[in-house]
Amino acid sequence: MDNNSTAVADSADENTSGSGSQAAPIATGSSTTASDVVIETRNLSKIYKDFWGRKKVHALKSLDIEVRKGEIFGLLGPNGSGKSTTIKLILGLLFPTSGRVLVFDKDATETKKNEQIGYLPEESYLYQFLNAEETLDFYGRLFDMSGRQRKQRIEELLTLVGLQGARHRQLREYSKGMRRRVGLAQALINDPDLILLDEPTTGLDPIGIREMKDLILALREQGKTVLLCSHQLGDVQDVCDRVAILHQGELKELGRVSDLLKVQDVTEVHVTGLTDEAKKEIAEVIAKHGGDLKSMDNPTATMEDLFLNIVRESEARPGARRVTATADAASESDNAADGSKSGSDE
Amino acid sequence: MNLQPDDFWTFSEWLLRPGFFLESALLQGIVLIVLAIVLGLIVAYVISSARYGPGEGFFAVARAVRDFLTVDLPGTSPTRIFALSRLAFKEAIRRRVLFVIGLFVVILLLAGWFLNPESDDPARLYISFVLTATNYLMLALALFISAFSLPQDIENRTIYTIVTKPVRATEIVLGRMLGFVAVGTVMLVPMGLASYIFVKRGLDHSHLEVVEAEEIDGRIVGKTDYVRKHFHTFTIEKGETQGLTNFVRGHRHVVTRNDDGSFSIGKPTGQLRARIPDYGEIQFYDRNGEPKEAGIDVGAERLSDGYGSAGISRLIGVAKGARKLEHGYVEGGTLGMAEFTFDNVTADRFPNELPINLSIRAYRSFKGDIESGIRGSLTMKNPGSSAQADPIEFTVEEYQIDEKALPLVRSGTDANGETRDLNVFEDLVSEDGKLQILLKCEDSSQYLGVTKSGLYLRPAESTFEWNLAKAYISIWLQMTMIIAFGVMFSTFLSGPVAMVATAVCVLLGFSAESIYDTRHFIDSNIERGGGPIESLVRLVKQDAMTTQLDVEGVANQLIKSTDAIIIYSMDAIATALPNLPRMVSTAEYAAGGIDIFSAILARHCVATFGYCLLAFLISYFFLKSREIAA
Ligand SMILES: Nc1ncnc2c1ncn2[C@@H]1O[C@H](COP(=O)(O)OP(=O)(O)OP(=O)(O)O)[C@@H](O)[C@H]1O
Ligand SMILES: [Mg+2]
Repeated sequence: MDNNSTAVADSADENTSGSGSQAAPIATGSSTTASDVVIETRNLSKIYKDFWGRKKVHALKSLDIEVRKGEIFGLLGPNGSGKSTTIKLILGLLFPTSGRVLVFDKDATETKKNEQIGYLPEESYLYQFLNAEETLDFYGRLFDMSGRQRKQRIEELLTLVGLQGARHRQLREYSKGMRRRVGLAQALINDPDLILLDEPTTGLDPIGIREMKDLILALREQGKTVLLCSHQLGDVQDVCDRVAILHQGELKELGRVSDLLKVQDVTEVHVTGLTDEAKKEIAEVIAKHGGDLKSMDNPTATMEDLFLNIVRESEARPGARRVTATADAASESDNAADGSKSGSDE
Repeated sequence: MNLQPDDFWTFSEWLLRPGFFLESALLQGIVLIVLAIVLGLIVAYVISSARYGPGEGFFAVARAVRDFLTVDLPGTSPTRIFALSRLAFKEAIRRRVLFVIGLFVVILLLAGWFLNPESDDPARLYISFVLTATNYLMLALALFISAFSLPQDIENRTIYTIVTKPVRATEIVLGRMLGFVAVGTVMLVPMGLASYIFVKRGLDHSHLEVVEAEEIDGRIVGKTDYVRKHFHTFTIEKGETQGLTNFVRGHRHVVTRNDDGSFSIGKPTGQLRARIPDYGEIQFYDRNGEPKEAGIDVGAERLSDGYGSAGISRLIGVAKGARKLEHGYVEGGTLGMAEFTFDNVTADRFPNELPINLSIRAYRSFKGDIESGIRGSLTMKNPGSSAQADPIEFTVEEYQIDEKALPLVRSGTDANGETRDLNVFEDLVSEDGKLQILLKCEDSSQYLGVTKSGLYLRPAESTFEWNLAKAYISIWLQMTMIIAFGVMFSTFLSGPVAMVATAVCVLLGFSAESIYDTRHFIDSNIERGGGPIESLVRLVKQDAMTTQLDVEGVANQLIKSTDAIIIYSMDAIATALPNLPRMVSTAEYAAGGIDIFSAILARHCVATFGYCLLAFLISYFFLKSREIAA
């Protein structure tokens, strides 16, 4: 499994594309022939108007982006910056005020494109009175899937999102995260080529987040295109190949994550089994070469790592409580809060 | 039941109105749909050219029409429609609409206390009550379930996950409509069964004993006890053990003589009927025997009504005036009579006798002997020759269907003027199978009133159950229509507004005749209170309806012309709306014990289909052009 430090470490090599190790063969060609472009927005603007046609909000201003086949594209931005608006325009839920959106070279308002699309909305807008199985069955029918196909797909998806046990409970009894999971399952029911995820990780527990990230990466491995938006910067950083950063409806930054995040003049080294003397020596070596040693510490585990460890252990040995370890970890993370970005591997 | 001229139309006469194409339903339907399309295109163009500019706007509209025909309509899939209608069904059930069935049962139970089984015509009372109750309940329910669903889905944004699947707007609309129709059907069936049981049980009663019986030459003549304000007399023929009572309040009982000499009286029979009538052509003659278009008007019989059957031709001012058919009267003791000519009178259809039903009115110009009713007579006559049977006298039974039978052999005068026994089929029916029956009043200076539907032959009988089912089908059709309208309005209005809009349509449909009436008086310059503003002025000034409007000069002009505009637009709208009162009135057939004509049911079916199609088209374009997430 990846996590942020390896990704950053990998990218120290200029020539390898970001997360190249995980990229599926399909995604390697980054040349943009027309057929490679899955989503294209041209000068896309959206002004929300009220009933009388009076302008309320200029939510999106002249957005030009291209999402290519096989990549994971992230839309970043603060609340109200127009991320969801963009996704809705791509889906044809909104009509552009000016400009165009092309999805699979078709106009965004065409229904037929939806056969290859999966969409996870901001919140789970699902029918509360259906249970998970009925929900997925319903959405399966909307794709004209045969009964056998539906049955098989529902099994796969319920296992994938971990709702096997709750499949017969009505959605209104579900917790937020469980609804989110059903939402994800319905987005994948048709094995889509393009998946649009509006804040996929909100409401999920850390395991869910991790699983979601793994899933997104796995989807790319299958050659799918993913467009997601989020303000969980860490998540975006973990999975996205390219990001666009929006602010107040304007595109502020667009590029490869690896390029955007690389800090050119800092070197990062992770070593195990060093004695204190050795560390001192290294510091001296650095000083000798004119380097400026910013910090040399035991890295703190991230809260995510800690949490994942606890859950994993509890699953292995149900019932036992890891008192000491928790206390240790807690005091450890108290020591150095700033080290979270350079968190270590497990 | 008093049928109107258009009730007698066959289905194709209604659809095409040979000779009066302007009045035809087909024309009305075509005009409506063409108008909807033209108006739709204009509105769409105005809106989209405001949005995208005049040139782009034109292409946007053209594209929408092309998409509908080439993509969405052919791409519509039954699987998806089924999935969506199942969802709509489940959703409606979740909203606990089934409680309405419970409510209906409670209404029936309460009605059991209030409906009087001792009334003159309990069957009519019971049947019309259950049908009317079901009808209005179902209309309200249809209104309620159809108008809220789509707006709620849009508000909850559950629609997002649907329209981002390959779902066509056609499927969303059809799925909704079908789902709600299924809900309505699921509710209508138990309500129908409950009604049937209610009517059956409500009319059931038993006479316990025979209070008088005497044997005359081996023939037993007797009288039952007095139950529910009536008793029956009966006869048991010599050598038989069973006999029938007479008809009282539309029913009779079987009386059986037991071995020990006691009698047992069976259940009431014959009160739930579905007579299949065979109507003749009516011709009135005045007191001098001159043929007249109508009978004597004894006053207040000609109501302003029945405008609607003239369709478009009334709207554009070609057909004028009311078309309501009311009772025409014939004067007693004169040559005045009503002549009914029946077609196709054959021995196959009437093997034993000529069953004939009368529902006629009496009008007394002087009191006379109030105890005995007014007498009339029926005379069978051959329209092709002068052969005529002797009159058969009877006493008029008002406000109920009087069941009689004419014998197949009757003394009379044949074509050669000889007096002998005449055989109906040989002597009285003409070569082309026609028979005339003359209705006369036998008491001089008294009058009998009749319409075309007041005297008919009854060659056959259908079952009451099937007739009730047909009345329920008519309710089902109305429900379907309202669901279609509700769904249509809900594609562009919010839930409550959509419901109000649908309700307004229903109300306008129900008051169409009054609107036409007002327009007729405005057109023909007759003072009848005028339009809404004039009425208000009169109300405030406390002026009578028939006086000149007491407002001077310009104000008068203003009031009159504003009223005219209001009434004319309401007229146009009401003409475009389904004629619900007609559909509701099928209940009268069932209640009156007359088989609901297939032609009428077929008309309602076609009209319903037409309106659903219209609603479907409008819904599609509204939904398609709607920005779901805005
Ligand atoms: N239906 C709407 N009507 C009017 N204004 C809207 C509508 N939807 C969004 N907006 C406005 O458009 C702007 C962008 O909203 P959008 O939902 O795209 O933001 P976002 O980037 O997804 O934010 P968040 O991170 O909170 O989800 C906001 O100012 C919002 O108020
Ligand atoms: Mg958002």
